Amino acid sequence: MNVLIELAIFIPLIVTFLLPALREKAATALSTTSFLIPMVLSLYSLLKLQSYNVSLFDFGPPIGEFYILVDPVSNAFGFTICLVSAMVAAYSLPYMRHRFVEMLHHKEIENSEKEFKKYWFLYNFYAVSMLLLVYSGNFLLLYIFLEISLLTSFLLIYLYGYGNRQWVGILYFVWTHIAGVLALLGFLILAFESQTLAIKDLRAVSFVAWLLIFLGMIVKLPGLGAHMWLPWAHAEAPTPVSALLSPIMVGLAGYILFRVYMIDSSFVLDFKNLILAYGIATSIYAGLSVLKQTDYKRLLAYSTVSQMGYMLIALCLGAAGLAGLIVQYMSHAFGKSILFMTAGAIIATFNLRDIKKMGGMHEHIPTIANAALIGFMTLSGILTIGMFGEFLILAGVAKVYGFDLSVVLAVVVVFIISGFYSFYTMKVIYYGRPAKYEKPKFSRLLDAPLYVIAFFSVIFIFPPLATALINGLDFALGGELVKIIKEVLGGVRP
Amino acid sequence: MIEVLAILFLAPIFSSIPIAIAWGIEPRPRWAEKLSYLSVFGLFLSLLASLYLLIYLGELSPEAKPIKYTIEWIPALNINFVFIFDYLSRIMGVLTALIAFLIGVYGLEYMRNDYRLGWYWFFFNLFTASMLLTVYSDNMLLLFIGWEGLGLASWGLIGHWFRDDDELSYVGNVGRKIWKLNMFWTPSFAGWRAISTIRIGDMPMFFAIAAFFVLTGTLNISEIDWHGLEGKVGTVGIVILITAFSMGLFAKSAQLPFSDWLMTAMTGPTTVSALLHSATMVAAGTYIFMRLSWYIEPWKFHGHGYEYVYILVLFLGLASALYGALVAAGCLERKVLLAASTMSSLGLMFASTATCYWVGKIGILVGFWYLVTHAFAKATLFLVAGHLIHETHDRFCVGDFEVAKHLKLAFIATVAATLSLSGIPPLTAYWVKSGMDGVMHALEHELGYLPLVLLILTSMVYSGFLAKFLSLNFIKGKHVHIHPHGGKLMEISYTAMFLMLFLLLAIYITSYEKPFKEFHHEGFLPSSIAVGILVLAAYIFALYKPQIKSKVGEFLGDRMYLPFLNDLIVAKFGWVLSTLSDYGNRFIDFMCHKAVPKLFEIYSNGTRMIQSGNINTYIKIAVAFVFIVVLIAAGW
Repeated sequence: MNVLIELAIFIPLIVTFLLPALREKAATALSTTSFLIPMVLSLYSLLKLQSYNVSLFDFGPPIGEFYILVDPVSNAFGFTICLVSAMVAAYSLPYMRHRFVEMLHHKEIENSEKEFKKYWFLYNFYAVSMLLLVYSGNFLLLYIFLEISLLTSFLLIYLYGYGNRQWVGILYFVWTHIAGVLALLGFLILAFESQTLAIKDLRAVSFVAWLLIFLGMIVKLPGLGAHMWLPWAHAEAPTPVSALLSPIMVGLAGYILFRVYMIDSSFVLDFKNLILAYGIATSIYAGLSVLKQTDYKRLLAYSTVSQMGYMLIALCLGAAGLAGLIVQYMSHAFGKSILFMTAGAIIATFNLRDIKKMGGMHEHIPTIANAALIGFMTLSGILTIGMFGEFLILAGVAKVYGFDLSVVLAVVVVFIISGFYSFYTMKVIYYGRPAKYEKPKFSRLLDAPLYVIAFFSVIFIFPPLATALINGLDFALGGELVKIIKEVLGGVRP
Repeated sequence: MIEVLAILFLAPIFSSIPIAIAWGIEPRPRWAEKLSYLSVFGLFLSLLASLYLLIYLGELSPEAKPIKYTIEWIPALNINFVFIFDYLSRIMGVLTALIAFLIGVYGLEYMRNDYRLGWYWFFFNLFTASMLLTVYSDNMLLLFIGWEGLGLASWGLIGHWFRDDDELSYVGNVGRKIWKLNMFWTPSFAGWRAISTIRIGDMPMFFAIAAFFVLTGTLNISEIDWHGLEGKVGTVGIVILITAFSMGLFAKSAQLPFSDWLMTAMTGPTTVSALLHSATMVAAGTYIFMRLSWYIEPWKFHGHGYEYVYILVLFLGLASALYGALVAAGCLERKVLLAASTMSSLGLMFASTATCYWVGKIGILVGFWYLVTHAFAKATLFLVAGHLIHETHDRFCVGDFEVAKHLKLAFIATVAATLSLSGIPPLTAYWVKSGMDGVMHALEHELGYLPLVLLILTSMVYSGFLAKFLSLNFIKGKHVHIHPHGGKLMEISYTAMFLMLFLLLAIYITSYEKPFKEFHHEGFLPSSIAVGILVLAAYIFALYKPQIKSKVGEFLGDRMYLPFLNDLIVAKFGWVLSTLSDYGNRFIDFMCHKAVPKLFEIYSNGTRMIQSGNINTYIKIAVAFVFIVVLIAAGW
């Protein structure tokens, strides 16, 4: 059976333009469904190890061919994006209802029905642009989708965010465009050097182009020093948007780095130690910052920075590391989307973000607390797909750096800190003497979607999904992953 | 086979899901309490499966070839679900499943009125499945899944009473403070302490697993060429790898300096302390060390790297054993005393297993059979402690002969378990302890008498505090009034548990197979009998004089101030670092989002000021400009 994943990814795009015509419940159902279809197909395509291109049109030099790139990597990212987008779409309904009531109360909007129409358009457009990004076979096309996702997410923050949202929106806009412009410059240089931007036709990336793309992605990822925009944006965005921004969007920088690496790995190989040290510094620094936060969403935002440090680390660790990068993206997306939704559920039910006012919240919202537990387990790699991410990264460390104790210890410390802040946060927010609140009644849509993501996070460590994922990644890496053990086993296949 | 494995691992988990869901959706649904029985039934099925694996898989002997069963997982990377059924795993599996089932039965009564049954049973059963997975897996990645499951279940159950509202669940004297440190711990804090300590060990262990994979292309413990590995990575490489791997084992088995989490883990329900934090889970660390040694077979090739590691493990184990015994001797809390004694026993297991480098497989077998003996004895004592806490509403050692009269079975169980565990001839642990004396004695040429001396010292203190436990709870403790009610299921459970000790004794005495015939041989040596008499003397002494008030005792009871390491030194260090990072963030935030925009603002205002249309200003600026140019030109 030929799976039509290349058509399915356009379903949400078409739906985007239908949503404003619908009432909020119908829109929620339609939006969720529109992501579930490509989700199922991308998973199927991943299981079947499919890899092919579908040409759209050819612009000739210097742009080259626009095509849809279907391979296990796109499918892994695509599946993650679809799953999270679908669940967050369902979750949006009760959450944004709450948000609009609040905004109506403050006279910031006039009519929630009208706002819902705007919201759904922007939300779906935002999510689908990221989905199309990972299936883009041309860096220009990819950049266009990147730009759409930036604009739509900017608007969502600007219109429905919290606190000083206009200021935060502009801050977000400026920073992400610094990243975008740097990357665009890199792509342009690449275009004029190679006379194409089609990923399959590119053979080499010059130093300057690599550097610009890398710097852009460092801002977007973000790396240490350029990271301050993220806690602002992700904390002040409306929570469903945070649940896409943080889990899905920033990690796409890792995806872009991965694609460029697969064309020409010279830059990363030359500066391996530097990038690794920077990744470790980012991760440890941000991990420590998490412990000082008092705002739940800001805390999660810092944890995102820490997790993105994993990506930079993974990038320097050869085939195992690259596979680790992709698994890490998935595990972070699963875990962090669950966690942002738990933060949102607490906002929607208690109007509460300050951790100091929480404590023993398990007493009032056990289902949310248990979901948060699975979210943090995913981040720290306990019994979830995160375990594979850690395993592959550690295997990469052992392969590339051997017994270089400083590197080994640093990476181990990075993982330890993730576990520390995860369970520390659990203790501070959900356990201990219960804060005095009424036990609330809330919509099932505020907790059920979290468990769907949690389900996938857990079953991805078992066959057949684990088997398919690792086989797929090996396939996308040109058999480099299997080569690691072939070398030691003397070419004898087990 | 696959059906048996499915029952073994999945029955406990699936049977606990209904109660978890029922209690997750509705708080304290009375109708769902009956679902506890379903959970215990799942444990029972698991026990049957483990018995099948014990009985029907051929000969059970230390020399038998292991049977393996593989299910594909990630065949491309040679990573599969590989289960191994050898001497160690078949016995350990039954031990785990049996104790889990008995404690499950006990829990039906002990936890009856709990406010969180869904959580309790889910994690209790998840623990059992994880432990069985750890026990039977040959593949280290699979083992690590079980391993993380253990850590998680332990965390979940330590912090079971997460509301921190019942001082009966605390550890330490509430309100007591030494310098800046609170010397009492709540369940939610104890949970965090446990998982964070374990994480420090687990991550180096995970690195070692990944490194084994990259270096050897396989993750199956029984297939790795351990001898060849040393040739490949050298002495230093082996020391790094095996030490990193053992970090996880030390942390989980609460060896120094990771031990303190186990003491505060006693905030969990007593059933949990009995099953996880004494009989099985903490023993997983020693068990994995045994399994590793079983297949490394270091006595066959005497690698240098391995020698360093085995010396480290030997002395770390002995030091932890002595530390644990001394702490237990100074401790007055029922469960914490038993926790410290567990740590001590685990140290002995590590130490005797480590002797295998010099004495061969017998070292592992001694450690293993001590593990089995200890599991039943300590589980009995914990279950009795739980019953006593229920009846006296006090977690400290209290009670005199009246308690013994009212709770006859508890008293008998305690007498039997303490006598059996101390190593008093001719009871159960005596035979294993004699074996232990023997293997430590055999190290005389390589390492001198130090190991043997440490062992005998530990054994004496050990026997002393066991007698103290008996005396302070049933004979010479503070008088308390109790009115026992119910408790039948609890009594049945610990009676079955301590009867197992006599079954073991029968096996030890009557069997002529390896390693029991070695135990006989050692047991009848005059030196072993002499040690036995010393141990008996310590027991009798402590029975008559269970408590000696002194500063030393207080110091021991405060665990030699080790909590300062966890709660003050490490915690403050982390706090300072995270405060620094916080300042860093504020600085970056200020620079990027305040200072730079402000500079633009100043520049813009300045420019705007100039564009005022006032001719006077323009002339002044022009003059100033000319003046500056002239000055510069002159200076040139």
